[in-house]
Amino acid sequence: MDTLLLARLQFATTTSIHFLFVVVTLGLVTLLVGIQTAWVVTGNPKYERLTRFWGQLYVINYVLGIATGIVMEFQFGLNWSGLSRYVGNVFGAPLAIETLVAFFLESTFLGMWIFGWHRLRRGVHLALLWGVALTAYASAFWIMVANSWLQNPVGYEVRDGIAHLTDFPALLTNPSLGMAFGHVVSAALLVGGMLMAAVSAYHLIRRTPDFALFRASLRIGLVTAALAITLVQGFGFAQFGPVGAVQPTKFGSGADADALIAEWTARFGPGDYTPPVLANVGLGFMILIGLGLGALWLLLPLLWRDWVIRLRFPLWLLLLGLPLPFVAVILGWIAREVGRQPWVAYGLLPVDQAVSPVAAPVMLASLIGFSLLLGTLAVTNWTLIARHAARGADDPALGRPPGHPADLRPEPAFA
Amino acid sequence: MELAWYALLGLFFATYLVLGGYDYGVGLALAGDADPRRRRTALNAVGPFFLGNEVWLVAAVGILFGAFPLLEGELLAGFYPAVLGALAGVILVTAGVQLRSRPARERIRARWDRVVVVGSALAALGWGALLAGLLQGVPLHADGHVAGLGHLFTPFAAAAALATVALVAVHGAAFLALRLPAADAAGAARLTRRLVPVALAAVGAATVLGLLSDRVRAAVQRPALGVLLPVALVAALLVARAALHRRRPGLAFAATSVALALPVALVGAALWPFVLVSTVDPGASLTVADAAASEPTLRLLGWLVLPLAPALLGFQLMCWWVFRGRIDGRAPVYW
Repeated sequence: MDTLLLARLQFATTTSIHFLFVVVTLGLVTLLVGIQTAWVVTGNPKYERLTRFWGQLYVINYVLGIATGIVMEFQFGLNWSGLSRYVGNVFGAPLAIETLVAFFLESTFLGMWIFGWHRLRRGVHLALLWGVALTAYASAFWIMVANSWLQNPVGYEVRDGIAHLTDFPALLTNPSLGMAFGHVVSAALLVGGMLMAAVSAYHLIRRTPDFALFRASLRIGLVTAALAITLVQGFGFAQFGPVGAVQPTKFGSGADADALIAEWTARFGPGDYTPPVLANVGLGFMILIGLGLGALWLLLPLLWRDWVIRLRFPLWLLLLGLPLPFVAVILGWIAREVGRQPWVAYGLLPVDQAVSPVAAPVMLASLIGFSLLLGTLAVTNWTLIARHAARGADDPALGRPPGHPADLRPEPAFA
Repeated sequence: MELAWYALLGLFFATYLVLGGYDYGVGLALAGDADPRRRRTALNAVGPFFLGNEVWLVAAVGILFGAFPLLEGELLAGFYPAVLGALAGVILVTAGVQLRSRPARERIRARWDRVVVVGSALAALGWGALLAGLLQGVPLHADGHVAGLGHLFTPFAAAAALATVALVAVHGAAFLALRLPAADAAGAARLTRRLVPVALAAVGAATVLGLLSDRVRAAVQRPALGVLLPVALVAALLVARAALHRRRPGLAFAATSVALALPVALVGAALWPFVLVSTVDPGASLTVADAAASEPTLRLLGWLVLPLAPALLGFQLMCWWVFRGRIDGRAPVYW
């Protein structure tokens, strides 16, 4: 196997795992902001319990978001040193801004939020969560700026074979950015809402004593998911125009695509400039899932008099439908990323020029090592999330009053 | 302009080594403690700071990518094994610390703690080897690429990596002496004082191997600074030991912090104006100025970072201030 293929496989693996976690992070934190704000405003203890329960799942999920995110950040330099060499002047800027402006503060705030229960004033504690959420959105925005630049390089000029930044605002008005950012953010809300609805449905199916609590989060999750799926569909279809205009080869062939391929052949020499078909097959499935999830709207009238709970089958639908948005977001990213092949930066830098001159065995060891490591951690993390979700909202460790016996309980000798 | 960004890069990486360093030091200390309660107390002493510590690494790499793209590619790819090890370590620690208390069973928690120990050791080894690798130069060719990975495997790099583990262990123990409840702090102070001679020996071994290495002697541009580094490390370690003897854990922690920050500053200064010194072709050595991004990029980042720097530092200070002092029975427990 050659280094290029291995490096691409590693990028695909890491990115996919990363996104499965950050999409939940972004969706859940938005809902948590609403719930904790409701708690602080109304003083209703139900909202405190909801914040602790969903906050705990959010915090567990966050761990793998960071772990995979750090690998992603290093991977650019480790495996794609050509990327930083030729286009680092432009592509590096939004990534640097993301780490400094967004992620740095997001994690600092979250550490204080986790340990700030019973220690900080309620308003300050709430403000920290708002800070976490705002910086999470800022983070998503700058990452999308960077990714959109790879899809459609703008605001640069090439001197001595190296791209230099000439027009930063052009990166922010990139046609492949706006709708895509809306699409990703609403997909995150959809995933967050679906997760909340599905976990609540599980408890309502099992008739957990916490009926009022899970009824509330079922309603929050379902309404959010229904609103979000419409936004997902809207932003998704709105993307085809601008993306097709700047990346004619992405969605199959046409006169524009043929003209562009002819131009590339003249400039870069003969080669295969069409992306693999795989990208568009996935896109078709994603659109099917997206249209299918539109059926969430059919469940909204059933919120009246709790028919959604009394009929029971809607609860099963919500529970069993949980994997669907996760599958859809991965297929969506495959369509976007595989669709720009064979380029790292579309029409500017081919992937084979960007890969690091590292020997294939080293790259293979890195691929296997990190896939195993992140794969194991991801499965462990999901198991922990599932267990904590199933355990219910009795006494989450998050926000437990200090000196609580559960923290000091000795291990039973026979366990 | 390049110098300012280079200094900022060094500042972020050095701060990461100081702050992340005590995470890893506390992680290493878990290996020597069989009592589950004390292990958990140690991790929750790091508690609120943990997430805010590793962000300095992420930000440092962000600055590296934004302001020194050329260096980013060659540094990370050229030191592939060291970076891989450090990265695996960082991930194991981040997952281990945050997830270890989610399972209720003590046996599973103990298994996670072993993950934290291994991760802490890997991270310290990796960063130590990287700094040593910079000091001994790399086979950088005229085409701008570092050839091969064998250049990293030298006795000096190994000794420096081990010395970093020892320094991190001292630093973590000093942190615990400062932050644990008074009853447990005495044990941490004893541990620190016992680790100091080990660290001194490790630093001494790395120094001797460095002085004997032709590559280090050829790569270092300012030998005086190169020699100052081990001298300063030894002084910092001795100050830490004396301070603990006089029951001044704050001073001891400050001294071990200096011991972790200094190597970054001195390695950077000793190689200046170069950042990657070539061992095969003197003309191919990479200077800081050549490695930097072009003017418009640096200016853009400058406009964004300068106004934000006070906010970044301010919120970190807020975290340190809110959770200052020794932890006690009323401190939140989550990790």
